[in-house]
Amino acid sequence: MLNYIWAGLIVISLVFALVSDIRDSARDTYRNGQPLPVMLAFPSGIDSTVRTSDVVIRIDTAAYHRFYRTGATPDTAYTGTLVRTQRGTQIRFAADADLPEPLATIWKTSQSNNEELQGRLVNAAPVDSNSIQAGVVFEPARYVKLHAITAAAFDLTDAAVTLALQLIGVIALFLGLLRIAEAAGIVNALVHITQPIFRPLFPEIPEGHPAMGMIVLNLTANMLGLGNAATPLGLKAMEELQKLNLSEDTATNSMVMLLALNTASVQFVPPTLLVAIMGLQVNELMLPILICTFLSGVVAVIAAKLLGKLPGYRSTDPMRQPPAGDVAP
Amino acid sequence: MDYLRAFMDIFGTAVLLLIIVGFPLYGLAKRVPVYEVFVDGAKEGFGVAIRIIPYLIAILFSIGMFRASGAMDFLIAGVRPVFNFFGIPPEVLPMAIIRPLTGSGSAAIVADMISKYGEDNILVKMVATMFGSTETTFYVIAVYFGAINIRRTRHAVPAGLIADAAAFIFAVYVIKLIFG
Repeated sequence: MLNYIWAGLIVISLVFALVSDIRDSARDTYRNGQPLPVMLAFPSGIDSTVRTSDVVIRIDTAAYHRFYRTGATPDTAYTGTLVRTQRGTQIRFAADADLPEPLATIWKTSQSNNEELQGRLVNAAPVDSNSIQAGVVFEPARYVKLHAITAAAFDLTDAAVTLALQLIGVIALFLGLLRIAEAAGIVNALVHITQPIFRPLFPEIPEGHPAMGMIVLNLTANMLGLGNAATPLGLKAMEELQKLNLSEDTATNSMVMLLALNTASVQFVPPTLLVAIMGLQVNELMLPILICTFLSGVVAVIAAKLLGKLPGYRSTDPMRQPPAGDVAP
Repeated sequence: MDYLRAFMDIFGTAVLLLIIVGFPLYGLAKRVPVYEVFVDGAKEGFGVAIRIIPYLIAILFSIGMFRASGAMDFLIAGVRPVFNFFGIPPEVLPMAIIRPLTGSGSAAIVADMISKYGEDNILVKMVATMFGSTETTFYVIAVYFGAINIRRTRHAVPAGLIADAAAFIFAVYVIKLIFG
């Protein structure tokens, strides 16, 4: 199941990225290689002898809409720099510019190592002594989504490792504290409170049978978030229940009830991983979690009981009609 | 609601204090060598953190790709009408799908949502509550029944999934009620 979902996520990502990129190239969304008309104003005057000069870049809204066939609107003016190199004149937008789509995407995907969005200046024509009219050709943006998904895969792999290392402290703290609770026998101390609650849910178990004790220990350990202690107890409980089972390979109602209570996980101590990820923010979630886990526990009990009464599940109940002559003593 | 939030804060702090202070005190009363036992348990923290790394990577990178490709927005937009009808934000759907299948993977989703929406976001509170109030249903069923060779699990899976679905819906409504 998880295999299909996981592989599905990856395959669907690829398909979506491909479709999106093919559509972009068919529509020419990024107008690769074509100049975007701009007005450049030089606050300190035009001086073609200096290598870099500050400029104010103005993009006409209507022209922008026409050029990119988009509804996104650029700011009235952007600050930037003009750089004259041997290979031509470059225009660079300030790194903190709030760019509209699709310029923002072009900026993100442009291959240069610079922080700024940059493009080649073409068809420059002076308007007055302080400003010129020109076109800007940006780095071509191709396979934008395909680049984005590979970048995401690499970035999040890093993030996963960083996250896991950040979690070590709180995980260790909680595992240490929970080990103390385990060693102090806190589970046994609570059993006499929880026993009367769980007993009526397992009518198939005879009075005094060890299965009931194991079940109560398992569920109580779960309540305290003692996952490490709960699992062996649960497995022990399952073994005891199997001794009562008249069938080799079919689950009894008691087993299903135990599993339902375990998967609903009625617990007072939130999972260690959650505490580690949320930090102290988990504080205000304790009560909501307790309410939800309790309510879902009730739903689990009702579901296990009612589903067991459905004809299909009822007829497969190994405890219902013990085959003649094969009755356990 | 302000009183409720104040109460919840006190409740949460009390539970945390009970764990951080109460457990060692109880251990002391029971004559447990608390320091040594604590260190012994805490040692496993490294192991656990290292052990979850492959799961975190598997889920985080596939979810990240899914989001970057635009497929996530498409999925969320697709289920939005149905979810809105029930008052459930569609952004919690990935958690609902992943939670019964993998515990560490759903932790990765909580972390992913925190980085996307910020710690205080109501969606993060919802998925965190979902994570905290359910178990990895398929894993538990596989381990428990596998240990005693039960192959016909009868209504165990449906009962577990009904409980999970209930927990998800309760999580949305309870968080909405308190923080909405």
